[in-house]
Amino acid sequence: MNLFFALSPFLTLALGALLLMVAEAAAAGNGRGEKVRPGLALGAALTCFASCAAAAGVWFYGVERIEGLDVLQPWLIIDRFTLFFAGLLALGGGLASLLAGGYLPEHQIERGEFYALLLFSTLGALILAAAGDVLTLFLGLETMSLGVYALTAFRRASPRSAEAALKYFLLGSFAAALLLFGFALLYGATGHTDLAGLGQAVKTIASGALSGQAAGPTTLGAAAGPLVLFGFILVLAGLVFKVSAVPFHMWTPDAYEGAPTPATSFMAVAVKAGAFAVLLRVLLVCFGDKQSTSWANGWPAVIAWIAVLTMTVANLVAGRQESAKRMLAYSSIAHAGYLLVGVVATSRDGTAGTSGILFYLLGYTVATIGAFGGLILAGHRGAEAVSFEDLAGLGRRHPAAALPFALFLLSLAGVPPTAGFFGKWFILKAAMEGGFSVLTVVAFLNSVLGAYYYLKVLVYLYMREPGAGAPIATPMKSGYVNVALAVSAFFVVLIGLDPSRSLSVATRAAASLFGG
Amino acid sequence: MNAFYSLFSAEEFSPLAIVLGMPLLGAFVNGVWGKRLGKEAVKTMALSAMAISFFAALFTFAALNHHVDSSAVEKVVEGHKVVEHEHVKLSWLAWEWMRASGAGGLSAIPIQAKFSVDALSGIMMLVITGIGFLIHLYASNYMETDKGYWRFFAYLNLFVFSMLILVLGDNLPLLFVGWEGVGLCSYLLIGFWYDKLPNAAAGKKAFIANRVGDFGLICAMFLIAHYCGALDWTGIEAGAKSLLSPDMVHVWPFGNAHYDGVFGFLQPKVPLMMTGATAVCACLLLGATGKSAQMPLYVWLPDAMAGPTPVSALIHAATMVTAGIYLICRLNFVFVLAPGVMAVIAGVGAFTALFAATIALVQNDLKKVLAYSTVSQLGFMFLGVGSGSFTAGFFHVLTHAFFKACLFLAAGSVIHAMHARVHDDEKSQDMRMMGGLKKYMPLTYGTFGAATLAIIGFPLTSGFFSKDEILFRSFSNSYQWVDKARAESLKMWMPPAYLGKIYYVMGVLAATLTAFYMCRAFFLTFYGDFKGWKIGKPVAAEGHDEDDHDDHGDDHHHDDLTIPGAAPHESPRPMTIPLIILAALAVFGGLLNPGLAKSLFHLESIPLEHWLEPVFATSMAKGIHEVEHNLSMELMCTAGAFSAFAIGSGLAYWTYIVNNGAPAKQWAAAAPGLHKMLMAKWMVDELYDATAISMVDGLADTFVGADKIVVDGILAQVTSFLAAAFGTAFRAVQNGMVHVYAAAMVVGVAGFSWFFAMPHAEGMIVDKGNGDFIVAAAPGFGYEYKFDDAQKFGATSEKPVHLDLPAADKSDKAKATAPVTKNVVLTVKNVFGIQDTKTFVLVRTPAKDKQMIGQN
Amino acid sequence: MFATYGPMFLLLTVAALIALLFYTGATVLGPKNPTPDKMKPYECGSESSGGNHLKLSVKFYLTAILFVVFDIEAVFIYPWAVHFKTLGWTGLISMFSFLAVVIVALVYCVKKGALEWEK
Repeated sequence: MNLFFALSPFLTLALGALLLMVAEAAAAGNGRGEKVRPGLALGAALTCFASCAAAAGVWFYGVERIEGLDVLQPWLIIDRFTLFFAGLLALGGGLASLLAGGYLPEHQIERGEFYALLLFSTLGALILAAAGDVLTLFLGLETMSLGVYALTAFRRASPRSAEAALKYFLLGSFAAALLLFGFALLYGATGHTDLAGLGQAVKTIASGALSGQAAGPTTLGAAAGPLVLFGFILVLAGLVFKVSAVPFHMWTPDAYEGAPTPATSFMAVAVKAGAFAVLLRVLLVCFGDKQSTSWANGWPAVIAWIAVLTMTVANLVAGRQESAKRMLAYSSIAHAGYLLVGVVATSRDGTAGTSGILFYLLGYTVATIGAFGGLILAGHRGAEAVSFEDLAGLGRRHPAAALPFALFLLSLAGVPPTAGFFGKWFILKAAMEGGFSVLTVVAFLNSVLGAYYYLKVLVYLYMREPGAGAPIATPMKSGYVNVALAVSAFFVVLIGLDPSRSLSVATRAAASLFGG
Repeated sequence: MNAFYSLFSAEEFSPLAIVLGMPLLGAFVNGVWGKRLGKEAVKTMALSAMAISFFAALFTFAALNHHVDSSAVEKVVEGHKVVEHEHVKLSWLAWEWMRASGAGGLSAIPIQAKFSVDALSGIMMLVITGIGFLIHLYASNYMETDKGYWRFFAYLNLFVFSMLILVLGDNLPLLFVGWEGVGLCSYLLIGFWYDKLPNAAAGKKAFIANRVGDFGLICAMFLIAHYCGALDWTGIEAGAKSLLSPDMVHVWPFGNAHYDGVFGFLQPKVPLMMTGATAVCACLLLGATGKSAQMPLYVWLPDAMAGPTPVSALIHAATMVTAGIYLICRLNFVFVLAPGVMAVIAGVGAFTALFAATIALVQNDLKKVLAYSTVSQLGFMFLGVGSGSFTAGFFHVLTHAFFKACLFLAAGSVIHAMHARVHDDEKSQDMRMMGGLKKYMPLTYGTFGAATLAIIGFPLTSGFFSKDEILFRSFSNSYQWVDKARAESLKMWMPPAYLGKIYYVMGVLAATLTAFYMCRAFFLTFYGDFKGWKIGKPVAAEGHDEDDHDDHGDDHHHDDLTIPGAAPHESPRPMTIPLIILAALAVFGGLLNPGLAKSLFHLESIPLEHWLEPVFATSMAKGIHEVEHNLSMELMCTAGAFSAFAIGSGLAYWTYIVNNGAPAKQWAAAAPGLHKMLMAKWMVDELYDATAISMVDGLADTFVGADKIVVDGILAQVTSFLAAAFGTAFRAVQNGMVHVYAAAMVVGVAGFSWFFAMPHAEGMIVDKGNGDFIVAAAPGFGYEYKFDDAQKFGATSEKPVHLDLPAADKSDKAKATAPVTKNVVLTVKNVFGIQDTKTFVLVRTPAKDKQMIGQN
Repeated sequence: MFATYGPMFLLLTVAALIALLFYTGATVLGPKNPTPDKMKPYECGSESSGGNHLKLSVKFYLTAILFVVFDIEAVFIYPWAVHFKTLGWTGLISMFSFLAVVIVALVYCVKKGALEWEK
């Protein structure tokens, strides 16, 4: 029973997804599809929130008190880090399905599979965050990715959607192949597939203790070094592809733009959070040794360069976009850059850096879902709001639709006292205290650069009127979207007003990664 | 009952949540759904929110009283029995917001959303919720026909919430949140009728003037965090002594550059230094002058009268504008450390009181008279707190809240009656159109009269006691610091002792003018003949009820004042009840703190002073030095205050009742220049236009010019070229081709590979002092290390080095001070067998026995 | 390093060289005598019909992929059956959960009409 309790966030999602899938199919088979469909979004959202609640339940019960979790070793690790991500991902999934509940019927592309796919993807992300072994890691990654590929292609009638999905699929497969090959090399060098064992072996190899020896974890001896390094390079490439960091980001704008907006929001939120969870775990558990985390020769230097590139390129390009949706896609890349700054900081003070990332992800999740939700709300059937022009004057005409949108953009820009401000604050603080002052300054300058294009949306919302003859956007009406926006707004404000509570949760989650 | 109060401990006093939460709830409900709810619901929500908040505040106050009583200790001092109280505080920690890092190695400063109520804030809380409720009640009728009814109440509730945050906040950042919140609400309410241009401009003016003040407050906050290492009241009080530390604030010149040219005087050899206390208090003073409309930032308040009259009563008379005085009282323990600033505060107050009173003499707009009178009365409060008598200053805050709220509401009642016919905002407020209203509006007349008596200092009314106390204190205070030796050692500026006399004379003059202009306003409005329009049906004076408002609607186009109209009539009950309550408070409120009675009848204590004693006691003992005074001196001061009242009101009676205003015209004709200046409000607005604003404009013009040439002409060209180049380059890559995307990934992997395949010989030098160094190579994956002379690579990544100084040769100083250097060569080899080398230079400079570290 | 990986690189090089050799050898040495019949696509000796971009119905692929999906389960069931006794109840429960999921998928396919050729 303990096991079921500990796995309840996963089981809830899995069961919910299966049920929804069959229920819709059965209803459609009996010709009652139309009747069931409006309830599907609610079902999916409830499943996600139930999973979120289950994670919270295990968290508050105290995962340390649950016995018998050894059975899962090393496949799944249920600790506070996992539970934090379980809650976060389920929240993201739930909010995205609420958005879908409003968006899909409005644009007449609602089919039941969307929700099942979304739930399976969320489940995959959860497994990814919990993975303690390379095999489960890959399983989770593919479960998540396959669902998302399909979600991207969900607007079947749109060639753009299909193209985006195909690109995403091809490049995703490429990245997955890199990842798999990397793990194969690591396995070859160390004889381990579990992350903890891998970490032990890498530690021995990295310290150079095997130089000149003919034996080691495997019979390779000193020659294991190059293998591990190449394995690491490939694994790193595979993982930063998923967080969409430059130069592995190029699929992102196309895929985000082509996908239906709720799927985009899910990709920006859950896929990214899941990827960061696994990136942190792999880097800190497998490559947390002194040599690999060296500021001059280890991954912090590489990640720092990627972070700088990611932030700068994404922010510069985002400022030049015509389409708000594409701008948000680049914005999500830029946020990956800020988060990578936090990853660099973990090499000095693991708990501070990780808790900063977790906190950031929390604020980022709700604000991003909210921003995409605002974009969804601003359009209606046949006239989806995409470009900045579409948003002109919305603040005057429909203040209720524009106000939350503005709030989320301010949070993404990092204006106090929203959640986004404190996310940046904690990450930059961790980086500064870790001694990465140049990186901190670059990140800070970039967030200034980023404020430009978020404020540009606000300018369109509140200070522009639509040009003569231009189509005037009328917001759609949907209870689902409204609820999603209200929940997101609540969290954005709550986290901004009371950051210390969320931070203490994030810190506990982060500490569990380091055996705390 | 006692058990009831003990339900909540002093540390966890959650009823404060109700006091604060109800107005917020009201603002939220009315702000979000107000438009759909309809007037009745909006009114119910707003009024019940205020009423519940008021009752919770009453309960809080009673509980506070209970806690104070239980802390009372009887002592015998100099043969008298004295009851001493602790400084009791009920607090409620909502949550901890964040921790800011304190400078100078201080531990992290927690910034908490924590609210507390003590003797001082308790009274403010009662005033805000109590008078707030009365004004809400009044406004529920006054604003009846306004289409922005819901918006008005949402703002008004939000204002009360912000004001409560300001007062109840337990730390400076929270006070600042409230400070900004009330500023915002004030801005919104001044510009409430934003479709009229002057109103919007007035709102902006208030916002900008306040922003200047806020700048001071923010600076003060940083300085306090720096010096005291805390931002909550208790912490600031505990750390206040470090404000006098020798670590002074370097004010001028910026930096340490010295320059002896024509403008050498701008770079004095001896820099201008201030103690931390002086700097903090000067900044706080700037903040307080902005919010409390003192010289030179008072200009926004008269314009703020563009807002609806209940707003003027609540925000711009009773509560918000007194926030500056509250701030000074709150941080009294900081202010007493800066006697110079205290003297400046008193000076600013005295001057403002006099200055604003002169302008009020000639105003014809009823609300403008009251506005300048508010500025003037706020000056009195500044004079009070600046004289070190925080109780006297604060007592005036209280009495002023009563009588000025009453005056504004009564004026609103008059305007309401006038507006029912005139429909012109200016004309309905013009006293020249009024007169004789006594007959038509007896209740308004009575209450306005009572409040007028209070403000002009009619003996035994509230204004009499509070103003008398302030004048007496300003006279008797020496403005010197108790600890003269300490002041000497800190080179603290000591104001001259005769300042008190000057301030007293200015105060009495201002009081005389006050009596004159208030009586003038009263007589012009209520006595003589009605001049607004011809009265058609005298019957309309009675039998007024709700139907009148329907007439109101019909009357809308009868603005031709030559056609006879109905007589102005008394306002309905929701408007008159608050008037009566406030008038009663204005008359009898003085009993709370009759300072004169204390001296005359040798009372042991008077309520307010006794109540506030724990708040001010320690700082009073430490900081304020009063000259010896006795009863005769006090009576003399009182005589001055009384004669101010007698002369001022007598002169007004003679001018406006006996001679029906003729002397006023003669005086204006006799000194046309002065009259013109007064009418033009001393041309301060024009002065600001000519100096600060035109300077900013000029600067802006310059920048616009520079902008056109430099930015548009050169920078924009360059950046747009760069951006275009960047965009083109990027678009060439982001072209939608999958294989290009994949190629980018391959480039990324290649970059990774290159980084990891190439070894990087990096490292740092750790200086352990005394010539001991450690060269520590940055570790790398599978690296092996070799230091200069070693034959083989090894796993050891650190090398200790000792640098010896040359043998002691005291005769050759040059040799003894020459730096000793040594090179250490590091070679690393990575798993691919590739090597990299770097040389570290260790330097030991014996002269300073300081080791400099360099690399090449 | 080369001691360990040398043979592998050698193998790769030899393989690449041989492939190159055959290709260039065939191109350079082989006689070229193209006739129209020779240029036609080769379809097992029968006459070619239609263009070479023949469109197949998506149903073929659907059926094929369903076959693969449900065929793969045998890969899991077979080893389980071999080790049935040692795996015991845990194995049984795991396998039945797995089968339950597969059945749900099957039900879904049936209900969606994926197995009907004509609709």
